[in-house]
Amino acid sequence: MKKLVTLFMVMALTTITAKAALAGDTLAEAKKKGVLVVGCKDSLPPFGYIDEKTRQIVGYDIDFVNAIAKKMGVKVELKPVTSASRMPQLQEGHIDIIAATMTKNAERAKVIDFSHTYFFTGQKFITKKGSVKSLKDLEGKRIGTAKGSTSEQNVKKALPTATVLSFDDYPQALLALEQGKVQAVTTDESILIGILDKAPDKSKFEIPNFQISDEPYGLGMRKGDTNLVNFVNKTILEMEKSGEAAKIFDKWFGKYHLHRSFKITADK
Amino acid sequence: MLTYRFDWSIITSGQYFDWLVSGLFTTLKLSAVSIVFAFLLGLLIAVMRMAHSKPVRWFALAYLEFFRNTPLLVQIFFWYFGSYKILPTVINDWLNKTGFEFAAAAIALTIYTSAFIAEDIRSGVLSIPKEQMEAARSAGFSYLRSMQYIILPQAIRITIPPLVNQFLNVAKNSSLAMTIGVMEMTYQARQVESYTFKGFEAFTAATVVYLALSIVITSLVNLYNEKVLNVHKAA
Repeated sequence: MKKLVTLFMVMALTTITAKAALAGDTLAEAKKKGVLVVGCKDSLPPFGYIDEKTRQIVGYDIDFVNAIAKKMGVKVELKPVTSASRMPQLQEGHIDIIAATMTKNAERAKVIDFSHTYFFTGQKFITKKGSVKSLKDLEGKRIGTAKGSTSEQNVKKALPTATVLSFDDYPQALLALEQGKVQAVTTDESILIGILDKAPDKSKFEIPNFQISDEPYGLGMRKGDTNLVNFVNKTILEMEKSGEAAKIFDKWFGKYHLHRSFKITADK
Repeated sequence: MLTYRFDWSIITSGQYFDWLVSGLFTTLKLSAVSIVFAFLLGLLIAVMRMAHSKPVRWFALAYLEFFRNTPLLVQIFFWYFGSYKILPTVINDWLNKTGFEFAAAAIALTIYTSAFIAEDIRSGVLSIPKEQMEAARSAGFSYLRSMQYIILPQAIRITIPPLVNQFLNVAKNSSLAMTIGVMEMTYQARQVESYTFKGFEAFTAATVVYLALSIVITSLVNLYNEKVLNVHKAA
């Protein structure tokens, strides 16, 4: 028994020290290894999803990290993450940077560092056509979303009487909506339009015109990884200036007629 | 240098504690319901598997192979999402209004586990010398009555250790119910993690709870074994 306890303690200690060692200079490390490991979504068009023809992960998020890696002179290695797994994966060193539709908020910023906002949206709902006119119509209803997302926390605040059902990811939430198991699916508008676009029966659904929160997205990096944060910030500001950022926006959102209502600027 | 600071206070009181407790109760409810029904259903399937009628035997065999050899997660999705296509609209509407998550998870767990339990019981029955069945039949008992009064009481006793395993599996497998939004222990632990980023604390609590649950199940069955069936532990 005593031996077992010691063994556990040694194991725990090694994991902890291994972690501490990782909070170093990711920029230099990536340059040395020639590869930047990126945590991204793989089923969330148009941010990160698998292209049907090439079988590669593509999207808005991917184009941003590709541009950053190009500037660094390294290759990109994409690792699919979920909303719930991405922060632990970053902290444990499985990935170097999160580019996975991640909303910047104060609680998260205590644990990791964010880049400047590279995308800006607001949280809305998908519902069956004509069933919901305003937020009031959703009181006491069942609402689907994905685990570990800010959407889940926002909707609980905005609709305390509603039952929030958290699925593993958005495709399941949409399936539940189709089958009437939930009356609405909620998350950021930019994600909703992507989900809606992939839905088999698009004409049955709509996104009513009201929102419950602002959602600025940032690229997530380990706390104190200042060199990488500065490099990323500098790069995306340059991308804004050169018009590349706007071009990426149009490439992915042009077909949805979404207006680019933001510019990438330095956070105050 | 430690990069992670433990903070147990967040899970020992307040809102997050309440979440974990409600998760515990859902896990207990889900496990209890599934264990009871899986046992009864498993008993039925085991008897069918050994029946004389060929179609009945084949049905039981098909049931066993199908539900033992497909992943539980797939089965949970099947009952939750797949049943929609089969059931009439009236029933679907009613299910959707009342919330079908818990029931779908319980059905999936029950059926999945019953297949394993049936095989455990069958192996117990097969270990009883077949002369006993022959003697019972020649004494005038029907097949079902011989099973009920002579074979099963002995077989169940032999089956108890593997049954305990199945019960423990139910308790742990119930965590998969979170994929369809059942707010059980693991779901709540993950919820606490995503709100507080205190994953270590939340999942440690969940681990302790599952461990305690397993130990309680094992002790209860052992107690039953000793006190009711008078089986004494092997030296």
